[in-house]
Amino acid sequence: MPKVTINDRTVEVEAGTNLVEAGLKVGVQIPHYCYHPRLTVVGQCRMCLVKIEGMPKLQAACSTPVVKDGMVVRTDVPEVEEATQGMMEFFLINHPLDCPICDQAGECGLQDYSFKHGVAYSRFQYDDKRTYPGRERIPLGANVLLNMNRCIQCTRCVRFTQEIAGTGELGFFNRGARTEIGTFPGKELSNPLATCVVDICPVGALTSTRFRFAERVWYLDKRPSLCTGCEVGCNITLEHRRGDIKRYKPRFNPEVNDYWMCDYGRATFERYKQIPRLQAARLQGSAASASWQQTLDAVHHGLSTADGPVVFLGSPNLSTEEAWLFAQLADAVGSPHRSVPVDIGPERTIPNLKGGITGREAAPNRRGAELAGLSPGEGETIDVDDLILGGAAERCGALVVCDSDFSATAYSPETIEKLRRAKFLVVFGWADSPLAKVADVAIPTPTHAEKDGTFVNVEWRLQKFERAYPAPGQVRPAVDVLVELLARFDPQRWGKLDTPAVFDRIAAALPAFAGLSWRTLPATGVALNVPQAQPTAAATVNPETSQGQGGVA
Amino acid sequence: MAFEKVLTRNVGNRDALTVKGYRQGGGYEGLAQALKMEPDAVIEEVKKSGLRGRGGAGFPAGLKWSFIPKGKDKPKYLVCNADESEPGTFKDRLLMEHDPHQLIEGCAICCWAVQANNCYIYIRGEYTDAADILERALKDAYEEGLLGGSVLGSGFKLDMYVHRGAGAYICGEETGMLESLEGKRGQPRVKPPFPAVVGAFGSPTVINNVETLANVPHIITRGADWFKAIGTDERNTGPKLYAISGHVERPGTYEHPIGVTFREMLEAAGGMYRGGNLKAFIPGGASAPILKADQIDIKMDFDTVAKAGSMLGSAAVIVMDDTTCMVRSVARLSKFFNHESCGQCTPCREGTNWMELLLKRLEHGEGRESDKQLLLSICKNIGGNSLCALGDAAIGPVRSLVEQFPEEIDRHVREGGCPFPHRRHFQNGA
Repeated sequence: MPKVTINDRTVEVEAGTNLVEAGLKVGVQIPHYCYHPRLTVVGQCRMCLVKIEGMPKLQAACSTPVVKDGMVVRTDVPEVEEATQGMMEFFLINHPLDCPICDQAGECGLQDYSFKHGVAYSRFQYDDKRTYPGRERIPLGANVLLNMNRCIQCTRCVRFTQEIAGTGELGFFNRGARTEIGTFPGKELSNPLATCVVDICPVGALTSTRFRFAERVWYLDKRPSLCTGCEVGCNITLEHRRGDIKRYKPRFNPEVNDYWMCDYGRATFERYKQIPRLQAARLQGSAASASWQQTLDAVHHGLSTADGPVVFLGSPNLSTEEAWLFAQLADAVGSPHRSVPVDIGPERTIPNLKGGITGREAAPNRRGAELAGLSPGEGETIDVDDLILGGAAERCGALVVCDSDFSATAYSPETIEKLRRAKFLVVFGWADSPLAKVADVAIPTPTHAEKDGTFVNVEWRLQKFERAYPAPGQVRPAVDVLVELLARFDPQRWGKLDTPAVFDRIAAALPAFAGLSWRTLPATGVALNVPQAQPTAAATVNPETSQGQGGVA
Repeated sequence: MAFEKVLTRNVGNRDALTVKGYRQGGGYEGLAQALKMEPDAVIEEVKKSGLRGRGGAGFPAGLKWSFIPKGKDKPKYLVCNADESEPGTFKDRLLMEHDPHQLIEGCAICCWAVQANNCYIYIRGEYTDAADILERALKDAYEEGLLGGSVLGSGFKLDMYVHRGAGAYICGEETGMLESLEGKRGQPRVKPPFPAVVGAFGSPTVINNVETLANVPHIITRGADWFKAIGTDERNTGPKLYAISGHVERPGTYEHPIGVTFREMLEAAGGMYRGGNLKAFIPGGASAPILKADQIDIKMDFDTVAKAGSMLGSAAVIVMDDTTCMVRSVARLSKFFNHESCGQCTPCREGTNWMELLLKRLEHGEGRESDKQLLLSICKNIGGNSLCALGDAAIGPVRSLVEQFPEEIDRHVREGGCPFPHRRHFQNGA
């Protein structure tokens, strides 16, 4: 592999690597706007000009590949700094400088590079700035708004729609200083990945209608998390202010969603705001909230004295750790009646370097929940179809609904009526859904933003997510609550456990997780060693046999 | 020096518009001769002749051809650059309108040399007459077996097309032309890769100017040594078309041996308009820095003009007498470059616009003396930093205005307006 020297630091890179990437390897940040690692290199913003020994002119780092040994590059010489300053000046002479009311302020390429490479005064003194009258707030599609005055003509958005989304709605119109971005006649920017153009826009020209004027970005608390919209498991940055989620942004993971995520996923957090929240435990017939002591006693009593089978209705929204604890609870009461229902939604494909990853199930963790033991046990069992399509709830001594928001059917009055026929109905969940309202015991749990945990995506990749902010009211981590409940059945085995400890127990217990530990889970997730023969339909697998199948070490 | 016209020998001879008439003057003999030679031998001959590109950059044509990879894994293309659109340049138009077969023959020889089976003549959209004439000539050439499945019965397959542009100066930039040819927005590509490796439709492509290719048949029939004997020296050879305009008595396209002095050229064009006094001239099209009257004896070849700080470019000579306001002239040129900048790269998009604003302001008497420094600084930030050569082209006239005519700028500032009387027909300008 060829060696390249940038600012006296030498690094070996793969042949063909461009200088922007090579610079990052040695800690030299070469400023750029139009370059994006996944888009065609066009070399047109001219911010990344560098001095290469032996070349008469400055060269654009993004379009200069390292092909053979001995290239010597400098970014810290006066001529480069002058050129970069010159480009900054060109960008700013016609920029409206409306930072105080711009959504991009705080995460804006123009602000950042002005700070680093700009000059403190303007030489563009007595001419009017170029403006695009009437093009200050043009909706390009339902989710993206264009302010042409702020645009720096880097064409990242145009290339994104052509090369990544493959829909090509955007183009460059006019020329010279009048050049502008727009949609082709009769088209609108409505592809499923449309809002990604807002992420890659280095300035405030493209803003998200959803996030528009929602919050100043420097007040946002940004935490790594996962999208719960489907089984792809896009890595996201969850951005909230004091527990109020403002937006999801894709977080780079080359194995899953690369730099992208879909518009549907970006909107999923709104569910947390639309549905009323279950903030404290509640016992049927009591207006006041119940104490945790009372609640867990009631559940323990109800399950241990059930008159008939105890049935567990799982959920693809549970974290793997919660699902495993529910399965342990089912074991403790000797119940094989477990199943994980899942809604099938429209297919969503997120492009990545391997071609893309497609999800159909409208929930993040059906696979993890089943692996953890919530698939039906041996013999004749009562599963989700028996409960919802049939009338099996009548026969249940106790029914534990692990998540009040387990499916869209959870909101149907018929389903609620059917499930309510169980002699003892326990409902866990963050949502104070109509089903939770009729439960004998309703137990609040955190949303995925309020807990630690793991999900297993459509490609059997186990990914970790972490708590972004504390749960409201009296909500406690479901893991704590379940462990406390389990301790009532077997105090010897269940002490105090947090999510990492539960995960490590799963790793010790289940072959598919063998050798993993919470602390060392890689940031990009880990592909579980699960036989490819795993069926994709829900609630059909016996956990014993699926775990015992070949290939599981 | 008695100079025998080469490129323009058929100008005025309407018979030359047909294959038959063109052949009477020895036409298509070069192609027949070339087809009997090895392709590499043709390239060698052109290299030996010292023929340099007539489009502006003056790159040796034979050398360019030799960059085309051998082998048959990809098709190869020749694109003839007939998008002549720089202000003051009108030499290729003459060649296409009066001697289309000379160009077709040159293209065919080049195609044989690089083994390209397809040739596009990318012609400026406004040249409707030239395009029609070329299309008729192509049809004629197909009918006479000079193009098509087997050129002159040699078995060499060659198709040639006229592709009309849609009115953009930037499509004369070779990669901008390729984008346009492929049906995309005409804007230059980032280089490398160069067109010789990745050109039209991702394949190796030669791009030559009309005049360059028109020289080729003569090099083949009369030999590289004959060609080399014309001109200043080893590096500046052959006949050259000069398009002279501005304050001269008989503006037009004139053929001279390369390296003719500006004075001789001016005389051939009838001298200064109404006997005026030469103030300045632009030796190579709108993008070339302006030369002052004291350079009147300069030899108009690539190297001499470059040494004088300008460039021969497309050899479009614009002559200005002492009634000309340089600020106004350069403001008008800046307007052109601003209008024609494709808008993709920052320095050119923003810089050309800024320069036009400043120059307009100076011309209208609203400028400041410090604008001279500002203009130079903008030139510096554009120069060498833009994606294609348009940025560099745009600063040529501006820089020379500030460096060579600073007192004229100062007069505009001092007197609060333009000190020159404006001729009526220039008033639609800046």
